[in-house]
Amino acid sequence: MEPLSLEEKTRFINMMGDFIPHTRGLRVALHSIAGNALTLRLPYQNELVGDPTTGILHSGAVTVLLDQTLGLSAVCSDDIAPSVTPTLDLRIDHLGVAPAGKDIYATGKVYRATRKVLFVEGYAWCESPDKPIARATGTWVRVMDINLDWVRNSKEYNT
Amino acid sequence: MSLVDLIQRDPDAATLKLWLNKIPYARYLGMDADMQGSDILFRLPPDDKLIGNASLPALHGGVVGAFMELSGAIHLVAKMENPVLPKVINFSLDYLRASRLRETYARCSITRQGRQVANVSITAWQEDMDAPNATARAHFLIAEPNKE
Repeated sequence: MEPLSLEEKTRFINMMGDFIPHTRGLRVALHSIAGNALTLRLPYQNELVGDPTTGILHSGAVTVLLDQTLGLSAVCSDDIAPSVTPTLDLRIDHLGVAPAGKDIYATGKVYRATRKVLFVEGYAWCESPDKPIARATGTWVRVMDINLDWVRNSKEYNT
Repeated sequence: MSLVDLIQRDPDAATLKLWLNKIPYARYLGMDADMQGSDILFRLPPDDKLIGNASLPALHGGVVGAFMELSGAIHLVAKMENPVLPKVINFSLDYLRASRLRETYARCSITRQGRQVANVSITAWQEDMDAPNATARAHFLIAEPNKE
């Protein structure tokens, strides 16, 4: 199978984002795609604050962003056809916190894909990807391939 | 009254709700907690805004994790002799089955509590406590700020 082009990946990620009510509500959006790596952005919002005295976002919101980013980065892997992939597990190390008022970004990529299992790693960051606030690893199981004809042919979701 | 002051109170059902009400993210999720004997039962009512998979529909996996992590932190505070606000060090989550759009529950136990760090395990389920939707383990830093 031909790997998806950058344009097709962009379309697919935007489409998937639109089908996920929770993160659509939180305005989680595609930030960039670079090769096998995908970056999403979670805008700062008061509802997600963990400690009102500091205004710092709750770590649970970082969990949501990382789960979404690592899960969707399976689509960006050129090594393997996009498939329906339930999450097996996710582990997050919290290295720091994002300053109040700042958007959070998460970058994920598949570092090993076998026929049945995707091993994914990623991190969340705020001001610079060199200063991660959290690191994550997780595994996703490939259940069935997704028919991608509509992604290749669709004219929607290009932005 | 701030959360830091509130956690010094005895964790009865009313106090648990006060704690949750002080945390904007817990309010956003719509979490609730009740005492069951000496144990705490955490509850996440179904809400369309928490859906991850619209076709099932199922809760967003990250939301299930966030609910469990918050449950673990609050359980820990409720059981501490000298409560401080715990900081999560890491969180490890096993997804066992998709969580449908219905009431989700969590129960926690402190596996080990040292002077600086606590290890808390969390189980989440929906219809059957013996068929959990997810299990998790969290390490929390519980050192008092001036002793870190």
